[in-house]
Amino acid sequence: MKSFSSMHPITQAVWFILTALCVMFSMNPIIAVVSFTGAFVLYIFRNGAKGLKTHLWFFAMWIGIVIINPLISHNGATVFLVINKQPITMESAVYGAVSGTVILSVLYLFRTFSQIMTSDRLMYLCGKLSPKLSLVMSMALRYTALFTQQTRKVQQYQKATGLYKEDNIIDTIRGGVRIFSIMLTWALEHGITTADSMTARGYGTGKRTQYAVYRFSSADTVMLILSVLFGAVTFTAQISGKMNMEFYPKLSLTEITPHGITGYISYGILVILPIVSEITENIKWKYYLSNI
Amino acid sequence: MIHNQTFRTALKYISLILIIATVLVSSALFSDKQYASVSFALAVMTCVIFVTGYEQKKTGTRRLVISSVMTALAMTGRLFPILKPTTAIIILSAVYLGSESGFLIGSMTAVLSNFYIGQGPWTPFQMMALGVIGFVSGIFGERLSQKRSLLIIYGIICGIAYSFIMDIWTMLWHGQGFDIKIYLTALATAVPVTIQYAVANAVFLYLMAKPFGDKLGRIKVKYGV
Repeated sequence: MKSFSSMHPITQAVWFILTALCVMFSMNPIIAVVSFTGAFVLYIFRNGAKGLKTHLWFFAMWIGIVIINPLISHNGATVFLVINKQPITMESAVYGAVSGTVILSVLYLFRTFSQIMTSDRLMYLCGKLSPKLSLVMSMALRYTALFTQQTRKVQQYQKATGLYKEDNIIDTIRGGVRIFSIMLTWALEHGITTADSMTARGYGTGKRTQYAVYRFSSADTVMLILSVLFGAVTFTAQISGKMNMEFYPKLSLTEITPHGITGYISYGILVILPIVSEITENIKWKYYLSNI
Repeated sequence: MIHNQTFRTALKYISLILIIATVLVSSALFSDKQYASVSFALAVMTCVIFVTGYEQKKTGTRRLVISSVMTALAMTGRLFPILKPTTAIIILSAVYLGSESGFLIGSMTAVLSNFYIGQGPWTPFQMMALGVIGFVSGIFGERLSQKRSLLIIYGIICGIAYSFIMDIWTMLWHGQGFDIKIYLTALATAVPVTIQYAVANAVFLYLMAKPFGDKLGRIKVKYGV
């Protein structure tokens, strides 16, 4: 078995897309809370307690949405305050809370997504779709690093030849423009040389292959099947309206039927899958270590 | 491989129109949570434009590499403080390399620089905004490259347009559907940023237009592109 973060990019992408779509398309408090808990626990599990500022910022945003929504939208039957002849309703506040939770869980999901789905993994996925696109991506990432290095070199050279005065803003700006101009010429020429070299080595004559270190193992198959299965169950429950929530004019959750309950449970399992996989691997790793 | 030139051009424009239509129609149609559907549809459409238009076209290796070089430059530009040359670089490269490369450079810049700044459900929207700016600049390429004043005015319009497109996202993110009141509020709060974009575009286009053209001209002479 493998842990979720070391699984095949396709498996990870499918899980993220399904989980995010399910929560983004539903305005259901239960789904929102389940998804938020899952996303939050996964993020904390991978990152620990660090990054307190981000959490605080996210929660401030949630509170902001809860407060702002009733001020903008005046729908709803239960009025508990009238400001400036505009009613402030409970329904609108609840709507804000639910949509804030949805937004928060999507944000945490994307945080984890960009940590797990590193640029090389994304490139691999794009390469399946369009090899040219993936080539452009990988070259652009390479050039960014190269530019930074070369810019530093040019800057040091210019300094060494005495082209800068100390504390003179106009001189600094001029120097910056000069360096940029040098870099532009260098980058374009470098690009042309690279392209010619690629043509000389036969780029574009055959089918493009990719170097990939990812292997589709049995763990991936299990994970993929489980994600698709539970995702599909949740989607069918959502589409058939078994998990609807009405906010206006009065709050009302659709009557909970067995079909609805299967939807909620399968979403809960979908959300918890990567956490289970990470924890199992963690325990196994500790167990093997203790045996050494 | 699509060999028919007219068909290819038609496909190019159709996919662009489809992208814009997706945003407008779905923001008008669905009552709530349309940011999800819009983002998803956009991501799919963007892929379609690449796969049909760019992948199947026989793009020269040189142009492909130059596109990635310009993407890298625009990306580095996005990390600048306050005045960012990103849009200016995208406009200029689209003017000289054509509308397809413009779209590619714009949208790639958005995705890749978000690896540093932060990915999110807004990424497809930024891809579309910058991509469309690149695409349109490529269409008007010939006229824009001849007159610098025109280019600068175009840059200012692009800065404002970028803000307008991204505020559709702000409105949808709020989850209340197409609400002109929220849109106007978002536009009003974004005024300082809009001015920042417009000024950055004007300044950098003014500074870079001539050197950029000269350098590309030099490359053309030196390597016989």
